Amino acid sequence: MNQPVAIEPVCVGTVKGPGETPHEFTFIAPDPDRRVKHGEFVYYLTQVDGQERRILGRVTGRESVRLFPDSFMADPSVPPAQIAALLGYDSDASELFEITVAVLGYHDSQMGEFINPRVPPAGGSPVYIADDAWLAQILSKRQRGEIGSAHLGSLLSRAPDAVPVALDVRGFTSTHLAIIASTGSGKSYLAGVLLEELMMPYNRASVLIVDPHGEYNTLQEMQNLPAFREGNYKPRVRIFQPDAVRVRIDTLTLPDLRYLLPNLSEKMQYQLSRAYRFAQRSFKGGYTLEQLLYAVRQTSDNKKGEDEAGFDDEDDPTTGGLVWRLNSVLGNSRIFNDFENLELDELCAPGLCTVIQLNEVDQREQQVIVATLLRRIYQARIDTTKKKVGRGDKNYIPFPVFCLLEEAHHYAPASADAVSTDVLKQILSEGRKFGVSIGLISQRPGKLDSDVLSQCMTQCIMRITNPIDQNRIAESVESVGRDLLRELPSLSKGQVIVSGASVNTPVLLRVRQRLTRHGGESIDAPAEWHAWFERDGAAARQDTALPAARRVQREEDGDILFA
Amino acid sequence: MTITIGKIVKSNTHVDYVCQIYGPGESDVLPQPGDYSFGTFVSIRLEGQAAPGERLVGVIYNTLLMNPDFGNLGPRLSPRQELEVFTPDYLAETATLVGIIALGWIDSGGRPWQGVPAVAATVNTPVHRLEDDELCLFHQGDQGRLNLRYVPMLLGQNSPLVPQLLLQIVDRLARLFPQERSRLAVMRNNLAWKNIVQPAG
Repeated sequence: MNQPVAIEPVCVGTVKGPGETPHEFTFIAPDPDRRVKHGEFVYYLTQVDGQERRILGRVTGRESVRLFPDSFMADPSVPPAQIAALLGYDSDASELFEITVAVLGYHDSQMGEFINPRVPPAGGSPVYIADDAWLAQILSKRQRGEIGSAHLGSLLSRAPDAVPVALDVRGFTSTHLAIIASTGSGKSYLAGVLLEELMMPYNRASVLIVDPHGEYNTLQEMQNLPAFREGNYKPRVRIFQPDAVRVRIDTLTLPDLRYLLPNLSEKMQYQLSRAYRFAQRSFKGGYTLEQLLYAVRQTSDNKKGEDEAGFDDEDDPTTGGLVWRLNSVLGNSRIFNDFENLELDELCAPGLCTVIQLNEVDQREQQVIVATLLRRIYQARIDTTKKKVGRGDKNYIPFPVFCLLEEAHHYAPASADAVSTDVLKQILSEGRKFGVSIGLISQRPGKLDSDVLSQCMTQCIMRITNPIDQNRIAESVESVGRDLLRELPSLSKGQVIVSGASVNTPVLLRVRQRLTRHGGESIDAPAEWHAWFERDGAAARQDTALPAARRVQREEDGDILFA
Repeated sequence: MTITIGKIVKSNTHVDYVCQIYGPGESDVLPQPGDYSFGTFVSIRLEGQAAPGERLVGVIYNTLLMNPDFGNLGPRLSPRQELEVFTPDYLAETATLVGIIALGWIDSGGRPWQGVPAVAATVNTPVHRLEDDELCLFHQGDQGRLNLRYVPMLLGQNSPLVPQLLLQIVDRLARLFPQERSRLAVMRNNLAWKNIVQPAG
């Protein structure tokens, strides 16, 4: 392999010796320009199999080995260097650092990964700072703008846009993705960037977004931006408002029904399962709520005759309770419907980004909607792959689908039992074979099911200050080194650690500018209050103002006649 | 021109010699204070068993003034000008002594060696000031690169003057070997840090 040769290698230090672990080494650097930052990439040269290789490493620690004595800092207004100069030490070389480096290895373009030479560098070897062009080539599995690339941003330790980093879309669409950050760290913004990249002409993905906050409306701007167009291609963005979200009753499984119906007794559960099976058997083409209720009555132990049956005169309290609960949950819902459903061919298509808005929807209903949607998509992909359905069928999806779930801890909570957890787990563990991939966005990894989090092989982690959440990440995410996890509380808005299957090595990124507007901006409360006074305040004052003194006519006994 | 600054009168160790600076009448060319200043490199011709032309190379690290009149509070009978006439021996007893540490030698072939010499100098051997070209020769290694192999030996003398002596040597060599300035700067900074900054903290 011919490695590109740096034009002017910049030597920043000298190898001191091996570090604490087998894949670490330390080097000494004066670093007057403060170039050797945490997370910075450096390399040394060594012979591997008779060929000179550049062995890349990431700076993981920095300790000072030479400091001015504390007593030189007795007066804050006098720099210690001036004291030293006073004594005759007038050199600038007052600082020396011992830098710890985790060795990544040399990049083998054929294997597409880093190979560790497993031998520490010789003491005294020069250590160079990796140049931008080389880093841009080896950190990302795909180059920016290539088919299957998602350009998220640029390396944080370098100048903006000096080293662009692109995720390998194939990596996260086969082994899933997680975006984890505390609130206000920019996770929706990052997700927006990722979605933009997925809808670019070089990706043309089929994406389904579950949006419980209604933040992704602005993605519609993609349809009009020239950056997203190429030839005949332009992305489509469909937004399903909560009013338009429909789940057909016969797509609900028995666990869905059990989950939706409140306080079911053992007997009710038993009867519900019998009624469900009865309905499945009896109404092959699908059933309505009425038919389901019919099934409940038919499976009642104290079944009445056909002509005796009625809604209001249930003798059996179990049947009565079940009917009442089904009516109350499904009959009064605007989501669950006898005939209408979100059809898969409307939701999924290459170049189509579908946003299912679930704001104002009850959380249990949200979970059932997500569970049914994911289950149907997954089943459709299985059926399509196994050629059980063909062209023209509404469940025919001959392409992979990427599903992005905002507030994923609602759908796979750690401590509670949600109906959507099982299907999520199933897709996360088996979806790769059938081309269904999940992107999870959560601000509380501590509340997210640990199995679910650990199945996401690409992780985008932003600022997290909560120690419980930090620990959960450390437990669930193997690919991020401890050194990078230590950075978590200090990350700023828009800074993200990306690791896992979609990048060659964990990297610290500055997220790029979005092309579409960000829909999840925080509300500027003081500005809104000011605006209220300018806009509505005058009118409100008018409404509440007391009337000018009017002549009041009174009756003789003092009561007001009119005013 | 090679200037003879004095003669060896004593040694404290195998490498530590005392040289008496020539006074008036002892040498054709009277050495000036600058010729035997602190940090001056000198050569001492080896006699006896040593090969012809072989000489020690050392550096002046200390100065001592001998004054037999010190502490004598009695009246002086004659002023100094008259002493030269009436009691010249008394004047000869005042002397300037310099301490020299031998840092290496130059063999009969003119090749420099740094380290502890095998052969010691003898009493009354004249001491010459080393010129810049000889100084450069003494510090040049095999590939013409600068050598300072005597530094550990100097530091091992435990003299409070040695660190300053080394700083002075390094500064002088930086002027003579401009291409070696970066290497010398590392050493100078290190010495300066240990001897100036750390003790003061």
